[in-house]
Amino acid sequence: MKTYKFLVLLFGLSIVASCSDLEEQPIGVLAPDGFFKTPADIQTAANAAFGHMTHEDFWGRKMSLPLMLRSDMVAIGDPTTATRRIEHDDFNVPTDNGMISGYWLRVYQMIAAANQAIAGAEDVDVSAAIKNPITAQAYFARAFAYFHLVRQFGDIPYVSEPITDLEVSGSISKTSAAQVYENIIADLEFAKQWLPNTQVARSIPAKSAAISYLALVHLTTGNFPDAYSEAMEVINQAGTFNLDLEPDFQNLFDATKTDNSLEPIFVLDFIGASNGDDGRDYQAALTGIRSDEQYGLGGGWSVAVPSLEVYNTWDDRDYRKQVSFDATGVFDDNVEDFSIFRNFNSRAVNRPHIAKYTRSVGNFATGNGRGSETNYMMMRYAEVLLIAAEAGNEINNPDGNIEMLLNRVRARARNGSAFPADLTGLNQSAFRTAVLEERRLELAFEFKRWYDIARRKLGTQVFNAAGLEGEKPNFDPNQDYLYPLPEEELARNPNLMPNNPGY
Amino acid sequence: MLKKNAIKNLILSFFLIASVGVFAQQKVTGKVTDGSSGGGIPQVNIQIKGSSVGTATDFDGNYSITTKSASDVLVFSYLGYKTQEIKVGSKTIVNVKLAEDASSLDEIVVVGYGSRKKSDVTGAVSSVKSEELNAFPVLDAAQALQGRAAGVVVQSNNGGEPGAPINIQIRGNTSISASSSPLIVVDGFVGATMPQPNDIQSMEILKDASATAIYGSRGSNGVVLVTTKKGRIGKLTVEYNLNYAVQNTVNELDLLNADQFASYHRAINPAYSQGPANTDWQDLLYRVGSTANHQFSFSGGAENVNYYASATYFKQDGVIINSEFERISFLSNLDAQVTDKLKLGLNLFGSRGNQDGVPTQSTGETANGGGDDIVSSVFRFSPDLGVQDANGANTINSVGDDIDNPFAVATEGVNETKVDNFRANFYAQYDIIEGLNFKTTFGYSTRNRTLGTFRPSTLITTAGNGTGGRATIANDRATTVISENYLTYNAELGKGKLTLLAGYSYQKNSTDRFSTGAENFTSDSFSYFNLGSGATQLIPTSSFTASEIQSQFGRINYDYDDKYLFTATVRRDGASNFAANEKYAIFPSAALGWKVSNEKFMEDVEKISNLKLRASYGVTGNQAISPNQSLARLGSVFAPINGQSVINVTPGQIANPNLKWESSFQTNFGIDLGLFDNRVSLSVDYYNIDTKDLIMADSSQPQYFGFLTSNSLRNVGEVNNSGFEITLNTRNISNENFSWTTDFNWSRNRNEFVTLLNGEDLFQDASPGYFNIDRTHVLREGEAVGVFWGYEYQGVYQGGDLPAGTALLPGRAAGDQLFTDLNDDGEITPGEDQQIIGDPNPDFSYGITNNFRYKNFDANIFFQGVAGGDVMNLTNVQLFNGDSNATTAILNSWTPTNTNTDIPRAALRGKEISSRFVESGSYLRLKNISVGYNIPTDIINKYGIDNLRLSFSGQNLLTFTNYSGLDPEVSFFGAGGGNSASANTVRGFDFGNYPTVRSFTIGLNLKF
Repeated sequence: MKTYKFLVLLFGLSIVASCSDLEEQPIGVLAPDGFFKTPADIQTAANAAFGHMTHEDFWGRKMSLPLMLRSDMVAIGDPTTATRRIEHDDFNVPTDNGMISGYWLRVYQMIAAANQAIAGAEDVDVSAAIKNPITAQAYFARAFAYFHLVRQFGDIPYVSEPITDLEVSGSISKTSAAQVYENIIADLEFAKQWLPNTQVARSIPAKSAAISYLALVHLTTGNFPDAYSEAMEVINQAGTFNLDLEPDFQNLFDATKTDNSLEPIFVLDFIGASNGDDGRDYQAALTGIRSDEQYGLGGGWSVAVPSLEVYNTWDDRDYRKQVSFDATGVFDDNVEDFSIFRNFNSRAVNRPHIAKYTRSVGNFATGNGRGSETNYMMMRYAEVLLIAAEAGNEINNPDGNIEMLLNRVRARARNGSAFPADLTGLNQSAFRTAVLEERRLELAFEFKRWYDIARRKLGTQVFNAAGLEGEKPNFDPNQDYLYPLPEEELARNPNLMPNNPGY
Repeated sequence: MLKKNAIKNLILSFFLIASVGVFAQQKVTGKVTDGSSGGGIPQVNIQIKGSSVGTATDFDGNYSITTKSASDVLVFSYLGYKTQEIKVGSKTIVNVKLAEDASSLDEIVVVGYGSRKKSDVTGAVSSVKSEELNAFPVLDAAQALQGRAAGVVVQSNNGGEPGAPINIQIRGNTSISASSSPLIVVDGFVGATMPQPNDIQSMEILKDASATAIYGSRGSNGVVLVTTKKGRIGKLTVEYNLNYAVQNTVNELDLLNADQFASYHRAINPAYSQGPANTDWQDLLYRVGSTANHQFSFSGGAENVNYYASATYFKQDGVIINSEFERISFLSNLDAQVTDKLKLGLNLFGSRGNQDGVPTQSTGETANGGGDDIVSSVFRFSPDLGVQDANGANTINSVGDDIDNPFAVATEGVNETKVDNFRANFYAQYDIIEGLNFKTTFGYSTRNRTLGTFRPSTLITTAGNGTGGRATIANDRATTVISENYLTYNAELGKGKLTLLAGYSYQKNSTDRFSTGAENFTSDSFSYFNLGSGATQLIPTSSFTASEIQSQFGRINYDYDDKYLFTATVRRDGASNFAANEKYAIFPSAALGWKVSNEKFMEDVEKISNLKLRASYGVTGNQAISPNQSLARLGSVFAPINGQSVINVTPGQIANPNLKWESSFQTNFGIDLGLFDNRVSLSVDYYNIDTKDLIMADSSQPQYFGFLTSNSLRNVGEVNNSGFEITLNTRNISNENFSWTTDFNWSRNRNEFVTLLNGEDLFQDASPGYFNIDRTHVLREGEAVGVFWGYEYQGVYQGGDLPAGTALLPGRAAGDQLFTDLNDDGEITPGEDQQIIGDPNPDFSYGITNNFRYKNFDANIFFQGVAGGDVMNLTNVQLFNGDSNATTAILNSWTPTNTNTDIPRAALRGKEISSRFVESGSYLRLKNISVGYNIPTDIINKYGIDNLRLSFSGQNLLTFTNYSGLDPEVSFFGAGGGNSASANTVRGFDFGNYPTVRSFTIGLNLKF
């Protein structure tokens, strides 16, 4: 009997080892199948596309920094900074450049998220009137992503559906830039049709964002009539879209005020918190003065610093100059001039630094002002005015109406002073130059200048000895208006070859 | 291997069980002596035949036992001696001379799911006994393995940091992305935490597939079997062990003082103005540390029950201020012989560890990666600054990146890790019929770990100023449930002996995690204990993963005529984390052994007392697949929209139903040789391990797919490891008063990548984030694992024409570094002019232990070393680049008037990795030297003390090396740290790791 009891015990213990089918039933992670049921699910998927934009890989640093450095407005400050950055400033970009390989994937993650939202919307069984305004956000995001890619790389792999077949998707060829532009325009047209006139925040694209981007896309491709008409559509309906110029230019770069401004049209809304590099911007650190105490950020890294000429050639009477620059720093509690910044840190540089991203960043998550609350304006009303002015000038000789578009931007810049005065009576060529110059200053350090140089093919003009950064001997107009496609991606799918000319 | 005299002495520290009659029927006493030397033998096991009553001799060989009847037979057994049986009859004094056993290798070694006589083992197994593990005090039993067993590489994750994890690697590196750590099995509990060194009876290291394949998909990194101490029938023994050590850093750097520093920086930047102080940051941050270990244990047993229980308290004050570790642990082993056939038992283990550390190793994300790393900050920080400036604010560096001074970080920051471990394992064992035994175990373990950090607002760059302080808390809890059930059958078939094993096992592991944090606190006094008061809440995370393994396993051992040995094992593992099409895997092995010395033709060869040849082949696996890793998944990103982060989903990864485990195909040939009655014993093993189906991120998948996990995993790589291991043990002198033994081991491992995805190089980065370097290591077909990548240094450019084949980086001038211009284009271009510049894999490593005993004194001298293997002195990359302090070597920088130097001019330059900083990492280290004294028993017995031992020892007292850095045992793994997936393949870098320490230790062992 006793033995019997023990055997029960043994059996009882061993039975603990029950059989399992070994199927994984993940908890806390999502499977794609059957996810899309309601319009809210489309919104959830679309949100990711905008989330990716705020990653360090994209606007946080990797994509945004080369856009600055390639222009004639921003140069390398600290010469010991990473080579992959210097390569863009020097037009010496190898096909394995670390900045490009750093963001290439991220842009396609944006696109994949948008594609998934767009494809998923088809599974959601509600009327177009209900779901399309949400899906339109994804169309906008996809256009936004491809617009950056096509301007940088020209012909690119174009994906517009969720990846299901690795073999097929892995062997596609490049889509021509012209076709990519067509697709971008189609996406933006969808967005224009369905997005509401206004959204609760400018970080969510509204109809005005879609139309403004249509204007910029047409401007980029040289389709000036459409650029003009789209831009004018925004301007004429500024009331409907709740848009206006911000009275004080400084407020546009004050993280505590941009949320309430009517000028931004589409922004990337950093919120002073991040999850590692997810949602973290680095502009305050990259553009800030090393060891500078004035904004309590713990100083910057003096990586992206305009050449002295940018500062010296900018008229001191222009209010925007003082908004855009810091010519002094604070060290050991003393205000010091830029000419001796290096005395306080050997990796600093004796030049005025960009102030747009350091002066008022709000809360920040990490030292040096990283993970700030800055709202980066991808598109603001002043740019729409300048697009209309530039495009209008190309269609006809500048008349009073066209001049007025430009002069509205100049008027706001005066901030109570008399400078800059209105421009009148310029011929078409002079007006073209004036608009581009206005864009250079109005949108200084806002990541726009390189695209202007590239679309207007200004390289030989601005990168010579008389240019703001002096001669850039490596600049080759037959090569450098496009970036190299990342060589590793070409190796993964040889059908994407060849690389862009010159690389 | 046998070292009886050494064992005899060392065992005194731990076991001395004097016998006292339990049943007062007839008391028998006596002394057990060595048949040849006449000396008493301690710790001889004495058992009444056919019963469970037994005892053991004391230090002098005396024993006492109570017998029940005159017909009782006493069995005297001791390792290395022939067992004797003596009928008691009417005798009350039984003195015994034990004869040495010529074939006395019959030590029992533990193998998976059983044990074997050492002489019958066919696989490659190293045994490390309690006395070796406790020759000097260590924090972790794994540390005590260093230099003890051939083929076993042991390294701290972070120098001498209190509480740092210890990594074990057996026979090289068999994986890229999965852990290379062996499976730890404690008293049969698979995947357990290591117990305290003092509680360990023995550790067996299973190296070849014959030994490890019984652990199937978890066996490819080798297996460490740990057996904890058990009670023995006889007198209740109470023991107290104390170790106390004082420690300091083995080395300091010769850094510039304030004046030298200022003049150096004026050479770089004439405007540099010297700061007000002259601070030696090393003096300020380093201190004399200490460790204290107290262990209390009691053990014993009655007729049906035996027990062992211990409590240990360990405390370490590290050599860097404010770095401490404290641990309490408990262990209890209880075994009950319920009936003749049934045995039940319960093992319990519990511990609480509390590490209160300082940031090191530059793994922090602050200040561009590594800004709050104490060790490198000590070297980098300006010596002309004090801790605080004139306004009472903490200083930040006056050169280079803005970093907080290390004293402020160490004293004001909080980095706490609290770990609770609990493990219980219940077993029942039943003899079904003669020779057939069933054992079932049911166990549970949990590890609950909490990490808390805090940076007050007074730290400027480490998430302080402007963010108003930052605190984070993270918790993970891992639990395991395990049930193992197996039958063992033993039979003698004529001259053959057969052992069969068959079993079934089920194990479930699960981990849940969360983390959260906040910033902007109203006060710096909250540490991380009032997250709610933070104005800014960080993003909380949580997750849950689970995996199940169910397995069938079996083994056949067949020994014929004590000459021919055959072992075959098989295990079939099914695992939930394996992909849908590959749920089950079979891991077989087979081994042959031939005891040549037992052959007739060897009988006359007197000098050879043992000769055995071994050969084995088998397959083991590596569970390199994480839970859910083969499933299609949606992921999410941080998506700030309209001022807040919003929910979102983004394509995460594509399903991979064919992903499978990594498989290691291992061949082992071994020879065991014993000479002169085994006074000399030698083992030599050769092995070859082909690890196939290495799981690698498939970087060939285009990134334009846009998955969050851009590189899905595939089984593509192959790596080969091969090597030799030599173990030599000699009993040089052995007599009653004096003995001397030497244990030597030597091992050499060669590894090479055979296949990588599409034959392409894989670059890795193990530099701190702020170095802004993408590539420091390369994995390349035909090359060893983790070779260094960089420029080849060609000395200082003297101006004028470039020496042939060399060039400068753009913008450099006379006095700068010349590198080899590989593509001969006249300038140095990143990506084009870099090459393999070093190999961190040592040519061989070795350990030599000498044990001496003279009367009651004993001594241990233990050297350990490695030869070959490069170290990248990343510390010097930092210190010579012009944006920090430097060593005094910088005073010999190139100037137009000091041209005969290898050190470039004082200038600010990028942190270029080059052969200039590659040095030999060879070293020979006096790991331990100790002297012990056992107070004679006739003195202490008067006070009721059975044994009292005092010891003095020193660790890491001498290191012979040409390495110019702090210490050649380096442990920097890049910004990911030692626990990152890449830590396997980015070895050999020296930067910011916690200093290696030198200790002086006193020990006391007291036994009642």
